[in-house]
Amino acid sequence: ARKFTDKHEWISVENGIGTVGISNFAQEALGDIVYCSLPEVGTKLNKHDEFGALESVKAASELYCPFSGEVTEINAALADNPGLVNKSCYQDGWLIKMTAELDDLMNEDAYEKYIKSIED
Amino acid sequence: MVLQSSLKNCRQLSCILRTPKAGFRSTSGGLIIQSVSNDVYQNLAVEDWIHDHMNLENRQVLFLWRNSPAVVIGRHQNPWQECNFGLLRQKNIKLARRRSGGGTVYHDLGNINLTFFTTRKKYERMENLKLVVKALKALRPELDVCVTDRYDILLDRQYKISGTAAKLGRTTAYHHCTLLCNADKLVLSSVLKSPYKGLKSNATPSVPASVKNLFEEDPSLTCEVLLDAIAEEYATQHHIDHRITLINPADETVLPGIGNKTKELQTWEWVYGKTPKFSVSTCFNMAYKDSVLDVKVDMDVKHGRIEACNVHLPEHWLPPALCSELVKSLTGSKFCPKETTTLATALLRVCPQDDELHSRWNLLCENMIMLM
Repeated sequence: ARKFTDKHEWISVENGIGTVGISNFAQEALGDIVYCSLPEVGTKLNKHDEFGALESVKAASELYCPFSGEVTEINAALADNPGLVNKSCYQDGWLIKMTAELDDLMNEDAYEKYIKSIED
Repeated sequence: MVLQSSLKNCRQLSCILRTPKAGFRSTSGGLIIQSVSNDVYQNLAVEDWIHDHMNLENRQVLFLWRNSPAVVIGRHQNPWQECNFGLLRQKNIKLARRRSGGGTVYHDLGNINLTFFTTRKKYERMENLKLVVKALKALRPELDVCVTDRYDILLDRQYKISGTAAKLGRTTAYHHCTLLCNADKLVLSSVLKSPYKGLKSNATPSVPASVKNLFEEDPSLTCEVLLDAIAEEYATQHHIDHRITLINPADETVLPGIGNKTKELQTWEWVYGKTPKFSVSTCFNMAYKDSVLDVKVDMDVKHGRIEACNVHLPEHWLPPALCSELVKSLTGSKFCPKETTTLATALLRVCPQDDELHSRWNLLCENMIMLM
């Protein structure tokens, strides 16, 4: 099951490894992504650490780590095809995988409610 | 309109900057600050500081700054693709990488920089640029200036006089732009031309444009006049005091931690090391005595360091052992002329004192260094 943060990132955990990406709301807000700056494999991150940035036609936007852990894999496809994040933010446009220590994140329903509340 | 103030009220200023609710009614809703420094790193650090420390919930900030000659590249750009290092060194022009996206620009004292700070929600580039155009038109109604959908400002529908970049953070955002008043166009066009061939990279590229100075259109449009007009328009639109507060980017009491931010922006790791992975694949000719030699060089550069390297020379022009030592030494070292010179010199020391060998070696290394 996918869980969401209030910074519009999603995480999906399987066998202790969390895959992280940005939500559809986020990719729409950012516009066409032209560059993905991601951390090195092995980087240790704490919750709320800046782990990279996405540059879109709108701006350079920082990515914040939804939980603490170590980066195990990064999506190499994004180097040549950063637009994958716009086209398929929940599948092919994933950003990083890391060892997961999940805590209080939102499930999909709670996240939908959250988007509605901030859109006012 | 420029108020030479508040530097004696340092504590008050830092109060405003950190806890906006602490009094100073005349600036609630907004603040206009101007840097007293012309150092690009110090000024970029001020942007970082405001972005990280200021609460912009009920206020917006306009930051005005100018730099002595510098080339500023976007966050995800490759400086080797964007400018001429040799020329930068020769003219003592600084190189900086900013934290916002976008392309490469040349700054000198004839260019003004404007940074509009807001909350992430209130981030609106078009509005900011329209404010600038309004200010310009209020000064000179006959000026033909307009904003494009690329967020450039054009003069006479042809010449770019302003470029834009932006950064979105957790809760705050900033949009900054340049404005060409009286910059040196000759230097601008020569330094923003990269001589390096064979570079392949997915770094964000710049979009070259023909530029013009507002001064050329009307010599009475000096930087001071323009800064004043823009500040006036900002103050009017935000219903705030028309005063500009001067800020010293070297003052740790007003901006605690700014020294570290300034230092970080100057590190090799940030300026060069942040370059997205790229490869160099190029051939060059070396004229030696009566012959011309073809040399092929392939390099992969990651985080500004040579990850892999291959040099193809005509067989036996140099001892193969020496060549493989060169390749070995280059691997892992910085893609940098200074570092390459150092290791080339070191390698030569362990070679026999053979003038012919030395001159061939120096020729090859000089050419290698020119790629960097």
